[in-house]
Amino acid sequence: MAVLGRRWLLWHGRCWSSQAESAALPQPPDSLYPPIVASATSNSKAAKRRRLEHFKQRVHAAPSVEEKLRLYGLLQRPKYMVYPQTFALNADRWYQSFTKTVFVPGLPPRAPPAAVKTPGAVAPEAAKAPEVVAGAAPGAAAAPAPGTEAPAAAEAPKPEAGATPSLDIGELRSLACDALLQESFYQNKKRPFLYRDQDHTPGPFLTQLVSTLAAFLSCRNPLLSASSLDLNPEVNYYWHHGEEVVDRGYRKGRVDPVRFQIDDNPHLQIRVPKQLPQVVPLEANLGDVPVIDHKPSKLPLFKRQYENKVFIGSKVADPCCYGHTQFHLIPDKLKRERFIKARLDDQIEVVYRANGIASLFAWTAAQAMYQGFWNEADVTRPFVSQAVVTDGKYFAFFCYQLNTLALTAETIENNPRKNICWGTDSKPLYDVVEDGSVKGFNDEILLHLVRFLLNRPKEL
Amino acid sequence: MAAAGPMALRRAAAKGSGSGGGLALARGVLTRAGPPRPRGPLPRTPWTTRGPPPDVLAQAVERLPVREQVELDTITYAGRQHFMPGLARPRFPPWDRGWHDPWHSPGPRYEDMPLRKDRSCFVCHQNVRMLEGVRQAQWLTKTKLVEGLPPSVQSIIDNPAHRLEDHEERVRHAVWHARLWNTTETAPKREHYCPALFEDLIHICRLMSAKYPSLAKRMLARNYRIAATWERESILFQVRGQNGILMNSMAPIPPVASKEEVLATEEHVLETFHPISPTIDLQEVIVYKELNDTGFKEGYPYSHAHTLFFLESANLRPRRFRPEQLRAKMLMFAFGNALAKARLLYGNDPKVLEQPVVVQSIGTDGQFFQFMVFQLNTTDLVSSGGIKNMVWIDSDQKLYENALCIPEVKKRVVLKPAGIYGFQPDTFKKFLALYLHGTV
Repeated sequence: MAVLGRRWLLWHGRCWSSQAESAALPQPPDSLYPPIVASATSNSKAAKRRRLEHFKQRVHAAPSVEEKLRLYGLLQRPKYMVYPQTFALNADRWYQSFTKTVFVPGLPPRAPPAAVKTPGAVAPEAAKAPEVVAGAAPGAAAAPAPGTEAPAAAEAPKPEAGATPSLDIGELRSLACDALLQESFYQNKKRPFLYRDQDHTPGPFLTQLVSTLAAFLSCRNPLLSASSLDLNPEVNYYWHHGEEVVDRGYRKGRVDPVRFQIDDNPHLQIRVPKQLPQVVPLEANLGDVPVIDHKPSKLPLFKRQYENKVFIGSKVADPCCYGHTQFHLIPDKLKRERFIKARLDDQIEVVYRANGIASLFAWTAAQAMYQGFWNEADVTRPFVSQAVVTDGKYFAFFCYQLNTLALTAETIENNPRKNICWGTDSKPLYDVVEDGSVKGFNDEILLHLVRFLLNRPKEL
Repeated sequence: MAAAGPMALRRAAAKGSGSGGGLALARGVLTRAGPPRPRGPLPRTPWTTRGPPPDVLAQAVERLPVREQVELDTITYAGRQHFMPGLARPRFPPWDRGWHDPWHSPGPRYEDMPLRKDRSCFVCHQNVRMLEGVRQAQWLTKTKLVEGLPPSVQSIIDNPAHRLEDHEERVRHAVWHARLWNTTETAPKREHYCPALFEDLIHICRLMSAKYPSLAKRMLARNYRIAATWERESILFQVRGQNGILMNSMAPIPPVASKEEVLATEEHVLETFHPISPTIDLQEVIVYKELNDTGFKEGYPYSHAHTLFFLESANLRPRRFRPEQLRAKMLMFAFGNALAKARLLYGNDPKVLEQPVVVQSIGTDGQFFQFMVFQLNTTDLVSSGGIKNMVWIDSDQKLYENALCIPEVKKRVVLKPAGIYGFQPDTFKKFLALYLHGTV
């Protein structure tokens, strides 16, 4: 990182310690002569390298994470602002190239955490008797045992030794429909303000749905009962990727890293004190990262200089420092009808994918920085988070695994790791709401949502 | 008149010479003093006057007020069509477009509106700050005040079974999160931390549905509108508009006071505060609809209002409600919700309810909490006697003493590190008890 301007100011305050410099010649121990190292203040390449090394040493040796973050984002220079919710064409491929992410369609292969029983699939088995049958409220088994997971597939719940009651899909469906009907039918509301349709019905519906589902499922997922729910939080991340030549200004001609900043505001997010389990190993290779040969400003992306923030939604001291699920609401500007009218039907899914990739990369990378990792000290364990992107009716699910933070020009050369994002297409949760009832409710989307919320580490 | 002078002198001289018998000399002819010339106003004949008689004339030209007369008399430069120093500035009549432009129209007048009534109505909305506070709200809603929370809620507080494990730790985390960790800046503003604290506390309360599954039958409603109308001693009152966050439940809260207590309220006399009128600070309207609406359509499954939450989250102190005014607002809106529900269930006739309607209310500004339980016993509110409604108020409960975002440092020595001081878990126990009330 080129921190040329600031470093020499701080240089005078620090003593010339004997930290091992890469440019130092090997000296025998107990030598009378001081180590021969490159100059620290001259304009030579060796001196620049030495200053860079010194900066990296400072960040490595920072006493606390807050100090590390402060030093990491100390120097302000113009940077590209990356917006997760964007109208740019094919933005998801660009964002994949900025964040070195492989996109894998479909959700990761993961055993569903609890057996989910549908009222239709009645399989009379004798061992079903100790289980709670669907239709009876789960309140009958009021003491939730910290259950053993059912490793089976969703369709055929096998008898369990533990007393975990199976999930009642009817109950969940009624909760979701109640939330939807309250917001769209039963509550007397005035007409929505101009271009504020999302704040009128889909926004409150999403908040209502997630809070009631999270509370309902907290008995089955102890991680949720220790979680923290944020409404409209802020998530920021700042990183470098690639290099460019400065084209105008007093720094013209110098080689600079390309800086990016994401400032995201998810509608809702759930943070937990324990990390989600990894989906695939750290060095897994599931595909290729798209390579784009243009400058980022062609996307279009624009540069601005302001504070370099790294934030997951709350400060470092918060015990809930890992992310579980984020919920994003697509704004009015990017709704489906507008794209269909502009004859850009294929870009509808791009909006969802770009939102998922960018938001989740920012969140997982900020979580990794909160644990002390950065691009010189790469992550030793993968960071996993989930996201649901919706516009009120259509839901798309994303799961992200951060395997590497090393995206700068020097560190990316020998780094075989790639970040992975799994994602689905957007599907409707229901067809239409009329006369106090929901027509065409899609249970599959609700099941996906429930599975997302029930995701937890293996030991819980 | 040249001749008159010498003639008068002549006559006077002749008179002075003492002509006997009143003979006078005029033009060489001896004259006598004749009948006296009429000196008063001339008799009114068509030959002597022109125009209408003076009293009719005075009536026609009425004496205008001074300002209007001055306006008529001033000379302006309007006729000159340009400015003239020394002349007054003219006032032109308002320009009439000639056609109705909806973007530039003053709107219908009050007299022409179809909902205009003869009697004015006093409306209590969310920005009404009552002068007399809870006393005024009590008079308006015919309520008896009891300090402290009712015994049914107190029993839930004291029962250790109705608590989450390590809930104190969780509440502490919630307070730290809302007051310290919620923002990228050093200290979050009240507009951020008050709703964040409320959301965190509600999240913790909702997690209790693991123990009591019927707690899942609750739904929060934001931005809902209430409408309730009642008459009190020949004055019409209304409660209208958006107020706070309402939590609805499927099952109503059972009545809190026993029948004897309800009957005992008959002897209670409502406090008046003469000479202040009880309608002070309420908005007087002449165009209104007498509406009773819970805010939700028929068939809504969560039809019973359980708790109302009021968040005083304005950053500036003058914009926030004082505790007394906040309690008054809580009482008015709890009453409004209960009355609208009672009208829905039992009709519009004023009567004593066999099954009283109970609505709770919690108000906070991020640090202090006001708890209230309101029971509607009667919809007969016209007279000031008879059975009254009851309210239990627990006011000014602190959740924590103060929150330091920056450590207090004097002479490079940290005196007080950053954090929350004076945390009181009892306030959250009351919050949770009000949440669980009705289900447990």
